[in-house]
Amino acid sequence: MAWIEKQRNILDFALSSLVRRWGKNLALVMVYTVIVFVLASILFMTHSIKREASLILRGSPEIVVQRILAGRHDLTPGRYIEKLAKIPGVREVKGRLWGYYYEPSTGANYTMIVTDEHRENVGTIAIGAGVARSSDVREGDMIPFRSSDGSYVSFEVTGVLTPESELVASDVIEVSERDFRSLFAMPEGYFTDLTLKVRNRKEVVVVADKIRRLLPDTRPILRDEILRTYDAIFDWRSGLLIVVFTGAILAFSIFSWDKATSLSFEEKKEMGVLKAVGWETSEVIAMKSWEGIVVSLTSFLLGVILAYMHVFFGSSILFMPVLKGWSVLYPHFKLVPYVDPYQLAALFFLTVVPYTAATIIPSWRAAIIDPDSVMRL
Amino acid sequence: MIELQRVTKVFNKGNSNEFVAVDDISLTIDPADISVLKGPSGAGKTTVLSVIGAMTKPTEGRVFIDGREITSLPERFLTGIRRKTFGFIFQQFNLIKGITALENVMIPSYPSGEKHSSLKKRAMDLLQILSLSGKAMSKIEWLSGGEAQRVAIARALINNPEIIIADEPTAHLDTKLSEEFIGIMAALNKEGKGVVIASHDPLIYGAKVVDTVVEIRDGRIVDKEERL
Amino acid sequence: MIMHPAVISLFVGSVLVCLMVLYSARYGATILTRWDLRSGSELQLTLERKTYLISTIMSYVFVFQLFSLFLFIFTADKLSTLFTGAMCAAGTLNVNNFGYPTMVLKVINFILGGMWLVLNHADNRAFDYPLIKKKYLLLMAIAPFVIAETIVQGAYFLNLKAHVITSCCGSLFSTEGEGIQAGLAGFPVIPMKILFYGAMGLTCLAGLYFYIKGRATGVFFSLMSIVTFGVSVAALISFISVYFYELPTHHCPFCILQGEYHYAGYPLYLALLCGAVGGTGVGTLFPFRKIESLKDAIPLIQKRLTLMTLLSYLLFTAVTTGAIIFTDFRLDGY
Ligand SMILES: Nc1ncnc2c1ncn2[C@@H]1O[C@H](COP(=O)(O)OP(=O)(O)OP(=O)(O)O)[C@@H](O)[C@H]1O
Ligand SMILES: [Mg+2]
Repeated sequence: MAWIEKQRNILDFALSSLVRRWGKNLALVMVYTVIVFVLASILFMTHSIKREASLILRGSPEIVVQRILAGRHDLTPGRYIEKLAKIPGVREVKGRLWGYYYEPSTGANYTMIVTDEHRENVGTIAIGAGVARSSDVREGDMIPFRSSDGSYVSFEVTGVLTPESELVASDVIEVSERDFRSLFAMPEGYFTDLTLKVRNRKEVVVVADKIRRLLPDTRPILRDEILRTYDAIFDWRSGLLIVVFTGAILAFSIFSWDKATSLSFEEKKEMGVLKAVGWETSEVIAMKSWEGIVVSLTSFLLGVILAYMHVFFGSSILFMPVLKGWSVLYPHFKLVPYVDPYQLAALFFLTVVPYTAATIIPSWRAAIIDPDSVMRL
Repeated sequence: MIELQRVTKVFNKGNSNEFVAVDDISLTIDPADISVLKGPSGAGKTTVLSVIGAMTKPTEGRVFIDGREITSLPERFLTGIRRKTFGFIFQQFNLIKGITALENVMIPSYPSGEKHSSLKKRAMDLLQILSLSGKAMSKIEWLSGGEAQRVAIARALINNPEIIIADEPTAHLDTKLSEEFIGIMAALNKEGKGVVIASHDPLIYGAKVVDTVVEIRDGRIVDKEERL
Repeated sequence: MIMHPAVISLFVGSVLVCLMVLYSARYGATILTRWDLRSGSELQLTLERKTYLISTIMSYVFVFQLFSLFLFIFTADKLSTLFTGAMCAAGTLNVNNFGYPTMVLKVINFILGGMWLVLNHADNRAFDYPLIKKKYLLLMAIAPFVIAETIVQGAYFLNLKAHVITSCCGSLFSTEGEGIQAGLAGFPVIPMKILFYGAMGLTCLAGLYFYIKGRATGVFFSLMSIVTFGVSVAALISFISVYFYELPTHHCPFCILQGEYHYAGYPLYLALLCGAVGGTGVGTLFPFRKIESLKDAIPLIQKRLTLMTLLSYLLFTAVTTGAIIFTDFRLDGY
């Protein structure tokens, strides 16, 4: 195939010409890489946080029912459980006990929760990895807690939780039901809220409607709704950041336009020589396009690889505060590596398209130099 | 056969700095000959040469290569014809710095789609003929003037053209190298290649091997001498 | 507006493409009025040079259109979690009235871009620019479509509001629903199979004959290739999809693009699009076969395009038929 050979030869020349002007091109690749790096970091991070959050939510009950008193979340009486269980389509109703505990020494807010596994283990707790780190405890240690009457109660740590996602479970402390009630002086027969499992996913909305009618002082919260809100919030956050960075992309486009326009005398002469010895305008454009493709792909790959390491091995140190910024508990926060082709496609669009658009006219300008111009140098 | 019919080249036409560089020239170049365009600086030799070599479109008049009118061809066809018909040697050689002599020789053939390996072999052969094989991998800026000139000749020959066009090839060379150059041209001419040289160097237009000398002044032909 | 990264990139990309096409169209207009090959004037030289720029721009635009079409559908698919009831792109596109028109415009612009490049390619084979005016007339015709796409897509994104209740593919492409989609889904399977294989068979036969003998069936082949494009999409909705999903009631043309189904939709749709571009390309060139300077070039280009279409359509047929034969799923009972 003559066409392929031709393109290979032209690519060959394009590479050698890039290498010859390595100083200028290195600057370009570096700026380009930084742009890709920043955008890729944002995308990777929001995507994996979103994914982890939805992984966790997926395991949670379809409906949570909270009692509302004067517009605020209040304790739910246990007798509601039987009422709800009678609604057709409801498979299971459970009372949940959970709350927040503020630890002044570390300044952290822990989530205290009674789980099925830990319900009966009086006097012991299981803690999330974040808690273990922030208060520096291991299995077998005792941790004191200040109860609502001001006295101190100590619990033995019998386990450190290692869930699939650190994001949500890292601040969790699992306690027994009795300890929970005494610690917070929570009256018997009341729960923080109730969870419902529904027999058929499609009936969730119908069931929620019935709950509102049956118990007008409650509010049913649907899992799917939370998922949607999560998605929207994360997309919105990353989108917002990207809008902020469109400024950077614009600046970068202008930078590449300028780089492509300001050809040195030597470069202009080179184009002229190519034309004079028998290259055609479209072949010089092809050469320039290859240069652009090589620069784009190199920077893109570099930027993506660096961002991958930054987000998944380096805990996104550079801009975690911007995106997450809601707790002091997550310094060691590690995301599970997750990249899908879709993110890469979006990223490619965001970076390569503006670059290409910015360089297309300067490349053409360089290529239309008159072949006889070199005869008068 | 290359034929220029009433060719005029006007620079900056319609502007105040309008300049008629070539004025109504008709000329026939025999591709079996060594032809020389001579004349003082600014006479229009380079301009005529670039019209002959299909690098510049004339403002008026027509140019025929082997009977085919080329003045109205679009660039992509003109380039193809130019590539096959002409090999150029420039006054400053205009080799590309930073790459090897070998690559410089290969460049004109890159767009032809020839396999890289076979192209490389041809380029090496050419360098060999011009006794430059030792310098094939040297960067251009390390070559001496004579070597650079021979690289430029090799580059002009890589597409196996019918006609070699050279603009003031000896301007930067001493007598010995100039004689060497004319020797190489004579040898190529014997092998059947036409040669067109623009020069005001007596060493060139006075050389025995030259068949035709055309004298240009102020864009017009003032004298044409055919030697037998 | 939903500030999703891909939404922003699609939006920015389409604005850029729109600007580039407008720029090209501006010079297209000059070329239409001022082009004079015999003149050696500065203007003519400038215009000849501009044609290089415009060719380059249009090639880029063509590639961009292809990517943006797939990215658009992919994005719609991803966004489906934001809308109540949506399970895949089908629902997201249905959130407002601009979703499906955007997609259709993207397909049209891709095919138009292909047509332009075919014309341009042919024109570059002749030494006297025989198609220059036609080419730029076509470009002027393409420009409004590209602008429309940018506007409609913008409207679509601006009117995407989270939590809107939409329909999922299950109800849009269901045998009981209303509208074209449902009509296709509910189309009886046997006639649709006959239609699909008939159209494919005819197209390929005509193409093969044209490829070997030249002339004769060419125009028919070109027309049929466009018809077959439509029929294939319909067939995909009506019965092919069902075999991929192994669910008798699932007719969605988008779910097939998901990883769950091994992204099978991408090669399939790509094959269809290539086939359509090749077929329209062949047709576009027919009126110009008599032009003296293109006498030799056009038949050759048409042959290549025909081959491209044949291979693409055969690939489509082979993959879908393979899926039908080799899945354990049987439609007979339904
Ligand atoms: N692009 C241009 N614009 C305007 N004037 C030009 C241009 N190119 C050449 N000229 C003019 O045309 C005239 C002829 O130029 P040309 O280079 O053909 O002369 P020459 O005979 O080759 O001279 P020399 O021996 O010095 O190389 C010169 O006066 C020059 O200034
Ligand atoms: Mg000169």
